[in-house]
Amino acid sequence: MKEIFNIAARLTISFMLAGVIMGAVFVMTEGPKKHNAHVNEQKVMLGLLGFSEDNPAPESIKLFNLYRYVLQQGDNKFLGYVLPIKDKEEHQLVVIDLEGQYVAQYPLQISMSEVDDLDLRNQIVAGAISSEYEFQFADKSIFVNDAGERSAYLLPGKSSGFKTFIHMIMALDPQLTVMGFEVLEHEEDPGLGDGIEKDYFKNQFRDKTVEVMKSIKVVKMPLPQEYRKYLENDPDLDEAERVRIREEHLKDDIYALTGATISSDAVNNGLKIMLKKFAYRIKVLEKVISEQSIPVAF
Amino acid sequence: MATTKTSYQLVLDGILDQNPIFRLALSMCPAVAMTTTVMNGLLLGIAVFFVQVASSCTVSVVKNFIHPRIRIPTYVLIIATWVSVIDMVLAAYFPAAYAQVGIFVKLIVAFAIITMRLEMFACKNTVGASFWDGFGMGLGFVVGMVIIGIIRELGGMGTVFGINILDSQPLLFFVLPSAGFFVVGLLMGFFNYLEAIYNRRKLGIITYESNKSNLPGGGCAEQHSSGV
Repeated sequence: MKEIFNIAARLTISFMLAGVIMGAVFVMTEGPKKHNAHVNEQKVMLGLLGFSEDNPAPESIKLFNLYRYVLQQGDNKFLGYVLPIKDKEEHQLVVIDLEGQYVAQYPLQISMSEVDDLDLRNQIVAGAISSEYEFQFADKSIFVNDAGERSAYLLPGKSSGFKTFIHMIMALDPQLTVMGFEVLEHEEDPGLGDGIEKDYFKNQFRDKTVEVMKSIKVVKMPLPQEYRKYLENDPDLDEAERVRIREEHLKDDIYALTGATISSDAVNNGLKIMLKKFAYRIKVLEKVISEQSIPVAF
Repeated sequence: MATTKTSYQLVLDGILDQNPIFRLALSMCPAVAMTTTVMNGLLLGIAVFFVQVASSCTVSVVKNFIHPRIRIPTYVLIIATWVSVIDMVLAAYFPAAYAQVGIFVKLIVAFAIITMRLEMFACKNTVGASFWDGFGMGLGFVVGMVIIGIIRELGGMGTVFGINILDSQPLLFFVLPSAGFFVVGLLMGFFNYLEAIYNRRKLGIITYESNKSNLPGGGCAEQHSSGV
């Protein structure tokens, strides 16, 4: 009996010591880790826009973050958008009701570099709207401008996959046609569900218009050989052939990954919902911005 | 029974006489799985090296506080702590390397070679001797991984460290997992052959007994068995 207590005590002390060491290292490495994730995200975003290390983004490309908040006043819900203001280091919070009607706007004294910081942003937003609303940060979308012209949208989002959330980022052109998407983080099964990262699955979404995306679904059919070659950017195909195959499959549904229908569906539904919601919100937001003539940066 | 070997002998033992992969035939899974390129082998080898040295030192420092009946769980805890530390440091400061060997780094917890060195050596020797033993064993593992990696990468892809050397791919089969067994097997034979020649030169004879005496003896269990 005495020995059991002895063993238990020793084990407890060892585990506590191990926990302290691991915790200390975790605290030390957390900063660089976050930085890496951020750098990686930037790289993925530029990759979606067609830039790489060999082909860096020109100076004229500018990325603006748009933050969406959900505001609540009693039982009424409103949406709040944090908009960057042109040529000034400040933002504007625009409140819109659920019917899409303009409600109010508040100036936010926060610069472009500070607005990324969630805590700081929340604090400034709280200060601006005082206690009129309860608020909660919902999501962000990224507006890409090339020399003052809107050139793309980037939408980060997630969808529930086979086990956990699949974190994705989707690129849309100004007409809301899909330019592509990347998986940032997932825990799908290796060899089955992790096919969502493969080119022949990912690139099936490329060039799908907003109309096609509305009714797109996952079909359990074999991927045609020729289409697969095109999706994997096979160098054997010449330009004329690429155009022909692209036209032929422009309205195709998504061919499911073999043995991973749930993962294929998760990605498809996730992208569809992200696009559908964004298409509606951007319409409302553009209308309010032009009605109120807010000098937005993007 | 504490060791009487010098630090130089301990390190040399780890690399040649008791090389973890070729002589002790331990931790064969990573030796086969992670050696398709020299770089992968080297990175995992370095991670194992650090875990081995750190765990050996830790165990020899706390050897008097480890209860003999729970010594294996304690070793595993110590190894797991160091593996987590290496894992987090790699992820934070070497993200490119971590993307390559990330999932294998976590598996170091289960590498037989590390537990075996703690049980056979670190729990009965001083910190200094354990450090050199861990150093030698870790280095032996790195050397083994690199040798296998060079042979497989050169044979399979005609490159070493990604630099083109042969300008052709002589045996594509070498990069497949099954080739790992062949390469490890042939190298084991080669190391045995070297030892046989060495013994013949030095001692004039090769006997099984002389080989056997080099191998490590019983673990801590014997030492403590009377007290349990």
